[in-house]
Amino acid sequence: MDGWVGRIIRVDLSRGDFAIEDLDPYQAMDYIGARGLGTKILYDEIDPKVDPLSPENKLIFMNGPLTGTGAPGGNRLVAVTKSPLTGTVTCPNTGGHLGPELKFAGYDGIIFEGKAPNPVYLWINNDEIEIRPAEHLWGKTTNETEDIIRAEIGDKWQAMDTHIACIGPAGERLVRIGAIMTDRNRVLGRGGAGAVMGSKNLKAVVVRGTGAVTVYDGQAFKETALAVLEKVPPGGGPVGELGLLAIGEMGALFSILATRNFQASVFEGWGNINMMALKTQFLVRNRGCFACCVPCARVYRVDNVEGFECAGEGAEFETHALLGAACGVDNLPAVLKAGYICNNLGMDTISMGGTLACAMELYERGYLPEKDVGYKLNFGNAQALVELVEKTGLRQDFGDVLAEGGYRMAEKYGHPEISMTVKKQEIPTWHPQAVQGTGLEYATSNRGGDHMKAFVLSEELLSGGSPETALKTEGKAAMAIHGQHRNAVIDSAGLCTVILAIAQSWDFESLTSLLETATGAGYTQESVELAGERIWNVERLFNLAAGITGKDDTLPKRILEEPQLSGAWEGHVNRLGEMLPEFYRLRGWDEEGVPTQEKLQELGLA
Amino acid sequence: MAKIKVDHTKCTGCRSCELICSLHHIDNTFNPKRARIKVYIDGEHHYPVIAGPYTDAECTAKNTVIIAGHEYDECELCRASCPAKPVFKEPGEEIPLKCDFCGDPPDPQCIKVCVTEALTLIEDTEDKEDKEDKEDKEDKEG
Ligand code: SF4
Ligand code: SF4
Ligand code: SF4
Repeated sequence: MDGWVGRIIRVDLSRGDFAIEDLDPYQAMDYIGARGLGTKILYDEIDPKVDPLSPENKLIFMNGPLTGTGAPGGNRLVAVTKSPLTGTVTCPNTGGHLGPELKFAGYDGIIFEGKAPNPVYLWINNDEIEIRPAEHLWGKTTNETEDIIRAEIGDKWQAMDTHIACIGPAGERLVRIGAIMTDRNRVLGRGGAGAVMGSKNLKAVVVRGTGAVTVYDGQAFKETALAVLEKVPPGGGPVGELGLLAIGEMGALFSILATRNFQASVFEGWGNINMMALKTQFLVRNRGCFACCVPCARVYRVDNVEGFECAGEGAEFETHALLGAACGVDNLPAVLKAGYICNNLGMDTISMGGTLACAMELYERGYLPEKDVGYKLNFGNAQALVELVEKTGLRQDFGDVLAEGGYRMAEKYGHPEISMTVKKQEIPTWHPQAVQGTGLEYATSNRGGDHMKAFVLSEELLSGGSPETALKTEGKAAMAIHGQHRNAVIDSAGLCTVILAIAQSWDFESLTSLLETATGAGYTQESVELAGERIWNVERLFNLAAGITGKDDTLPKRILEEPQLSGAWEGHVNRLGEMLPEFYRLRGWDEEGVPTQEKLQELGLA
Repeated sequence: MAKIKVDHTKCTGCRSCELICSLHHIDNTFNPKRARIKVYIDGEHHYPVIAGPYTDAECTAKNTVIIAGHEYDECELCRASCPAKPVFKEPGEEIPLKCDFCGDPPDPQCIKVCVTEALTLIEDTEDKEDKEDKEDKEDKEG
């Protein structure tokens, strides 16, 4: 096979053994890889009703056919599992170098089943695969785990080419927003995959490979890839120059950044935590993932602010938006430190920020007593922010409540409506009372509140749109559906959405030529688009079988009923009701959001 | 004679150069281990090194190199395909790999994918002229 390597590892953690299986080429073709293929396998192999933290759940690491190739952004590995936060299927993806390394070792993916009796890690060095004890790593932070494993390898040349995925204390303690870290600072973030890994007593996956990924037609593939590169502005444009925070500037410009738990969309302190603030104070250098032409990662170091010393990589825009603006915190070292702790303990920064913002509002409204939380938890309390992030990762004191995520916390205090979540997952920063289509995207996302599964924002506002188009509901259903299928293909191919969006090469034509020159499997534009739709529908089928239904395709009550915003957005709520029925209809789903038999037949899912 | 200018400060550690080098030399194949360029990613540092000549014995004395406070292993900065390291060799074999400027006439592929211009092609002669110009000027001024 070209593109795909053709083999996956199945690890039975309960029994402590593994087997190598061939990839089913027809299934790979129909579901492309990574997110699509992983979801199909999960749907076929587990009962969607299982407890996500039980041994019956599986954790699937899967690459796409373009992972490890020189396609721009060909670096994605996806973790597919049933989420302990939402109860849906979830599919966080990571850049960095881990996915490509796994393919160079000779594997498209790994399926983890069962639960190890004691902590273990998986060692992969080409054909040498071992399940090794990890008692000595249990309790360690993600950075410590990296350091110890690398030191144990001994040979420095081998260690430098080894890539590691691991969980920190948060995953071990089943924190529902626990993440899996890769290459220290890249992250399989959303949906609590870290907790699933922890529930299986699996501390880390260590990979080294010296093999190859081949493509079907190298010359044509190269031309296609270079054509994409040519459309990338020099140095990666504003995002390459200033990081993903450059997108945040657009959000600030349009006044759509969630502020103080979505009670406003203008954060007066944004200038203190934005890209220029980072660049002038703490930036060390720019970094990109494997095969990246829009280096968006920022290596930073804070060594002169007492209590907030930290060094790492990230400063992702959503991190600053949620841990910063949504919590009313404009102290940059504090935001960086909070993000650093999330990485070091292994947690999703979006859900962490959203959960804390919710706690702050509960506190200010008097629903959350100070004695419970241990702080005067007003918006803007930077010290509390940093300390509570740490406590969440360790499930200490009130951190034990935060560790359940915003929805469960708010429910416990009698006010679930204060939690800005969809399907119990914190929504990203773009305020859905302004950007209507983005609201529809949040509501209908198969993995709960999320902005990367269609990125409607681009079309409705950032590139080509305007505040007027953002406020419209007409046409948004079709826009969301198109984006959902397109992004399903990108995530399944193993590509980075950011790069393709910036290069304006995320149309089905460009995606098809990358896929076809790499695999020679016979992809056409139609079959690729249909694969995107198939993937979306199989996720839906999983969720329906898990008991997550059309009723859950909604937004927080406040977003639908109480106008929060000012300026151009004043008086608006999200008019989901105007978009959702059309969305179902265009999808070929019934009024309850269930795919019709006809649709399933068309997709080969009946 | 053209040469490649390597600017560590601009390198993002993306390894696109390794990938295209591999594809250019081996049909339809991406394998960074078979590339004639290697990008080291070490903490806050990234530095690409282009493969140079083969040597059958490692240096008897090695130096410590410190640049801007960072201590480098000299064998990493060194371009040789050498017994001291498993770099610039066909994996599993001792066959050395060396940058060939992507053929004759030279058509370096790595610089084409290096969007941040950490790798750029410069004309050696230009360099000399620049230097001569400068010297001329200095002579006159002096
Ligand atoms: S392509 Fe350029 S930026 Fe990327 S690793 Fe190579 S030298 Fe560095
Ligand atoms: S790699 Fe270079 S520096 Fe190191 S021993 Fe060999 S020739 Fe000497
Ligand atoms: S010039 Fe050609 S052979 Fe030399 S490192 Fe660059 S791509 Fe490889």
